[in-house]
Amino acid sequence: MTAEDRQYFEDIEVGAEYVSPGRTVTEADIVAFAGLSGDYNVLHTDAEFMRTSIFGERIAHGLLGLSISSGLGSRAMTRPFATLAFLGLRWRFKGPIKIGDTIKVRIKVTDKRETSKPDRGIVVLNRAVTNQRGEVVQEGETDIMVERRR
Amino acid sequence: MESLRYFEDIEVGEVLQTPGRTLTEADVVRFAALSGDHDLLDRSGGPPGRAPAVPDMLVMTLVSGLGFRVPVSQPLVLAFMVFDWRFLAPVLVGDTVHCRMQVSAKRALREGGVLVEKREVLNQRGEVVQEGEYKLLVARRPRA
Repeated sequence: MTAEDRQYFEDIEVGAEYVSPGRTVTEADIVAFAGLSGDYNVLHTDAEFMRTSIFGERIAHGLLGLSISSGLGSRAMTRPFATLAFLGLRWRFKGPIKIGDTIKVRIKVTDKRETSKPDRGIVVLNRAVTNQRGEVVQEGETDIMVERRR
Repeated sequence: MESLRYFEDIEVGEVLQTPGRTLTEADVVRFAALSGDHDLLDRSGGPPGRAPAVPDMLVMTLVSGLGFRVPVSQPLVLAFMVFDWRFLAPVLVGDTVHCRMQVSAKRALREGGVLVEKREVLNQRGEVVQEGEYKLLVARRPRA
C-alpha cells in the first residue's frame, strides 16, 4: 500500500459510511479468545452451566465481538484512514453474540476536529455491530488521531 | 461450585491489583489472527530499532482477563454493559502491564447488580498507559 491509498484528515468527510463484510463467530473463536485473554468466565466456557442460563448456551466475550469488529472495520474500507493513534472508545454491549451468529460492522464518520498540532486531527467514528437479524448487538464511538496532508 | 462473592459482598472503594502480564510477539500474532486485522503485523512503519507496538485493543483484551486474577474471588459477571476507555501511551512488545481496579459505585437491580469499576493499566515503569471505566452486571446472592 502506498501513502496515496490512505485517507488523510482532509479527505475524510463527516457523514461518510462504510459497511464491512460479514463474519460468522465460531466456537473456535471463543475458545481462542479465552486462551488469549485469560477470561474463562463460565458465560464463555461452560456449555452445561449456560444451558440453564437465560441465554441457553455459551456466548462470545464482549471484547471478542469488539476485537472482531475492529478487524472487520479494516476490511470495510478500501482506502484506510492514515491513523496515527487510537485515542479512546465509549462502547455499549447491547445483546449477546452466540456461536454461529454472523456479525458485520457499520462505520459512520460523525465528527472531525483540528488539534493544536498542525500535522494531525481527531476523527470520531460511530460503529454499530449487527447480527444476521439486523439487531445491533454492540455499538459505540471511537476517537482516532489521523495524519494531515503536508 | 467454587465459593463466589456476590454483588452484596462488593465494597465500594476496594482496590485490587492484578499480577503482571508480559506482552509478547505471540500475543500480537494470535490477536491479528483472531480479529482478522492483519495490518497489525505490518512492521514497516515504526521507528527503527524500537520494539513493535502492541495493538491497543489487545492490551484491553488481556486486561479484561487479568481482572479475574486477583486474590479474592470475583462475582459472577452476567454481562459487560459499558466500556469507556482511553489509550494514553503506546505499549511495546516486551512490556509488562498490570491493572489496578477500584469499584467506584454500585447499584442493585432486580436481576443482578451494576458495578462501576475504574481500571488503570500500568507498565513496568509505573506509567499509566490506558485507563477507563467498566460497567458490569454481576450476580446477586441467590435467595435462600
